[in-house]
Amino acid sequence: MSSTLPVTAPAERGTTSAGAGGRRGRSWVARTRPWLLLAPGLVVLVVLMLWPLVRVFLFSLQDYGLPQIVSGEQEWNGVDNYVEVLTSAQLWAVVLPNTIGFAALAVTATVALGTAVAVLLASLGTLWRTVVSSAIMAAWAMPAVTGTYVWIWIFDADRGVFNHVLQTLGLQDQPVNWFTDRWSFYAIVLLNVVHHGFPFVAVTVLAGLLGVPKELLEAAEIDGAGAWRRFFSIIVPQLRQVFAVVIIMSTIWDFKVFAQVYLMPGGAGTNREVLNLGVWSYVESFGQNRYGFGSAIAVLLTVMLLAITVVYVRTILKEDEL
Amino acid sequence: MRRHFSTRATTAATAAVVALVAAGCSGPDGGGEGGGATDAEGQTLDVWIMQGTNPSADTFFDEVGAAFTAQTGAELNVDFIEWADAHDRFVTSIAGGTTPDVAETGTTWTPEFADAGALAPVGDHVTQAGLDGDLVEGLVDAGTYEGELYGMPWYAGVRALVYNTEIFDDAGVEPPTSWAELESAAQAIQDEHPDKIAVAVPGDAEFTVYPWVWGAGGEVATLEGETWTSQLDSPASQDGLAFWTGLAEQGLSSAGATTWRETDVLDAFAAGDVGMAVMGSWTPGAILEANPDMEGRFAAVPIPGQDGGIAPSVLGGSHLSMFSTSENQDLAFAFIELMTTGEFAEKWGEQAGYFPGQTSLLDETLESTDPLVAPFAEQFVDGGASVPVSPAFGAVQARATTSTMMQSILSGSSDVATASRSAAEEMTSLLNGGS
Amino acid sequence: MSMLSVRRPTRAVQVGKGVAVVLLLFFTLFPAYWMLVSALDARAGLGTSFLPAEPTLDHFRFVLTEGGFDVFLRNSAVVALATVLVSALLALLAAVAVARFRFRGRLQILLMVLVVQMVPLEALVIPLFVQVRDLQLLETLLGLVVVYVALALPFGIWMLRGFVAAVPVELEEAAYIDGASWGRMFRSVLFPLVAPGLVATSIFSFITAWNEFLFAMTLLGGATDSYTVAIGLRSFFGQFSNQWGAIMAASTLITVPVMVFFILVQRRLASGLTAGAVKG
Repeated sequence: MSSTLPVTAPAERGTTSAGAGGRRGRSWVARTRPWLLLAPGLVVLVVLMLWPLVRVFLFSLQDYGLPQIVSGEQEWNGVDNYVEVLTSAQLWAVVLPNTIGFAALAVTATVALGTAVAVLLASLGTLWRTVVSSAIMAAWAMPAVTGTYVWIWIFDADRGVFNHVLQTLGLQDQPVNWFTDRWSFYAIVLLNVVHHGFPFVAVTVLAGLLGVPKELLEAAEIDGAGAWRRFFSIIVPQLRQVFAVVIIMSTIWDFKVFAQVYLMPGGAGTNREVLNLGVWSYVESFGQNRYGFGSAIAVLLTVMLLAITVVYVRTILKEDEL
Repeated sequence: MRRHFSTRATTAATAAVVALVAAGCSGPDGGGEGGGATDAEGQTLDVWIMQGTNPSADTFFDEVGAAFTAQTGAELNVDFIEWADAHDRFVTSIAGGTTPDVAETGTTWTPEFADAGALAPVGDHVTQAGLDGDLVEGLVDAGTYEGELYGMPWYAGVRALVYNTEIFDDAGVEPPTSWAELESAAQAIQDEHPDKIAVAVPGDAEFTVYPWVWGAGGEVATLEGETWTSQLDSPASQDGLAFWTGLAEQGLSSAGATTWRETDVLDAFAAGDVGMAVMGSWTPGAILEANPDMEGRFAAVPIPGQDGGIAPSVLGGSHLSMFSTSENQDLAFAFIELMTTGEFAEKWGEQAGYFPGQTSLLDETLESTDPLVAPFAEQFVDGGASVPVSPAFGAVQARATTSTMMQSILSGSSDVATASRSAAEEMTSLLNGGS
Repeated sequence: MSMLSVRRPTRAVQVGKGVAVVLLLFFTLFPAYWMLVSALDARAGLGTSFLPAEPTLDHFRFVLTEGGFDVFLRNSAVVALATVLVSALLALLAAVAVARFRFRGRLQILLMVLVVQMVPLEALVIPLFVQVRDLQLLETLLGLVVVYVALALPFGIWMLRGFVAAVPVELEEAAYIDGASWGRMFRSVLFPLVAPGLVATSIFSFITAWNEFLFAMTLLGGATDSYTVAIGLRSFFGQFSNQWGAIMAASTLITVPVMVFFILVQRRLASGLTAGAVKG
């Protein structure tokens, strides 16, 4: 870490003559300073994010298994991996619906609940706002892995509290194993992901809400606009940026759920009905040694996410706002 | 390591990495220069052992470590790893070049790892030590790949039917000797103890499934010439699967068991919640370890065949394998020999409930009259069978083909015919090197 | 829906709010509560009770000694701390560059930062595994830190950019008029003002490092001694799958530090998020 400092040092020394920012001075130092500042970060991003992205694409065009990794030989097989992925019944019947359907549901639920909670928080007095926001912080803080185990424990078939309560209330006679059915499995994942994800939305939207000028709302109320109307015609447009960010972030997170599925009973590949793209790619690569095939799946997931990013960037974040 | 990096350290970020590497790589594992096995002072032998085989593994390996150091001068470093994710971990470490010197490898994995070029042959060492001829044949066969021995037989185990004698007495039933008896015994237990699990039918434990396939006269897979064909969907196999999963369908198992692994069966049995279950010869010790109150409250019988007799059960076991990354193979074999012969092999077998991999030791065990050893010995001798001996069977296991089939039947999302057909298809393809 | 209303809320609205608060508290706190109850109950898993039936600290003692969580917690702390420090520094430098300077390629870099955030970890895990292997850093905490810095960086740059941009340029110019160098201005003007943003960024990198599972599982492999809490818990669950009391005690140990930290800094977190996320 300390070795990054020397890189910036020349820039600092040179500033006295260069003046403020890059707007006045046109000297060499002023022109290179942003790049010097950027260099360490860029290097990390290029070496550890961009180059691996290129490589995963290269792997996906090879028959890349254990022997190839060990020996370093390359066996190119063109688009074979992609053909296999795209013609797999598994992909269309199970994996894609699980991935996309889940992400759509989870983003909707997270953003809706988070916004509702933000609105609720905005209307509470100081004491209750502190209490409730501390509680949602607690939910946010629970790491995905421990959270997943807590939900597994709650829904455990034989000794979980959920089945116990249902049986005590007489709502079911026999314990039910909630992890075997595709729908109840993902319902638990949804609960887990929303529980962990909505606090971010709530906190962000709340901060935005508090920034909405009170006069606007008062004026609208005096004009007779109802609560819903005020929400959608004044607050939502004011918070366009905020919503853009929380939706983008939630989409990124919810498309990539891994531990929340992988750690659930049957989630690591035994129950094929619940595979999503991430877990599928992982079990094919690290379980079956088919790193090339797994890479092709990973590339597919990346392309989908990038497509979503592009759509968001174009529709919501205009160039001049960057 | 510093030299290796210096050529790339053209940027601040990698420079930082180098500094940290240099600080962090002064581990004790240096050394490794030739040297005889008896003069390995300062070296460390890294070993992976499966977790949960022997309840007193910690003390056992403390003793082994002391003996090993006394004999060779080298330190022993044992890591315990889980059966459940051991395969993935082996594969990942083979890919990453971070394999230990010696590891316990499940018999079905040894050919697979040998095929990947990760193992070093031990045949010459075995001959030199004069051990050939005294090794259990089934384990030697399973550890041989393309004519070379890669896995040193360590121990073998077998699963039989373990039952809770108290629950059986309460229900007034005798240990079953046929499938009809098993079903009616389970029914009686269910009537007597509706809150207990009459017979545990786990969904994520493939080795508890095959006895029913074989017991009905079916096969897991057959080899013709070079081609494997899975027989899981043959009428006989389907019969066996239908019986076994049918028990769960009648409510004689539990909903939770659909996602159980063998360790879950063990826990539930040790808690006294299970009437009977297919469990390994190594579990009695573990049951008592988990719950000393179970002392004298459980017994075992061979798994009954469909109409009497014994249903074959998987002869599983472990090899000790040497990895090709091991720098001092003489030292590695010194450890293997220490473990698989004489005092320690015998002790391990006793503590863990396994059958030793050395014929001379095995014969002794098989004559045991211990009620928790004898039934397993009977199963071992009269009802032992093997899963397909192929380097590709590891892939079948990693794909969880059988568990997937079981879970889909048990959860009701598929019937026996459909599930076994797709499992057979997948297994056939994987065994023949497909995907 | 009486939010930000000038009128006095009606009684029905008050009751509705009360119900909503209760439901929300239940949903947010029940998992943590249940985790704690099970962790403190010697009979966890043997019967269902909503208060510890037989209160005990044995589960905690067990996971901290035999369970190995003393080591896992230490490893995670080291990894998280290193990740926070390195990524905060790199992100701040980069953020100053993109927020304070107009230069060719700036827009492309911003877009790249936005885009790499979208990249799924599952796509990176295969090549990074091979890359870390070539660096011979598999099974080391350093290898993990290097990867986590990369994962935390894009979000950090994106967030800090907003903070830096929010600092009035006039303040900087005042510092120059007083004869300060760029470096001095950075230290005495810019840095203090973006400190809240650094806190928010640090929290995110801390969470990334503390919670991350996929890379820890892949890169640490069999090196139990280097396990972080996330995979330590998984390996513990594999061994003691039905000892829910102990599993929940371990989960509590992992969660509590993060939770305390979160609740303490929540106000700063909120302001950090809005500034970073919204101010363009």
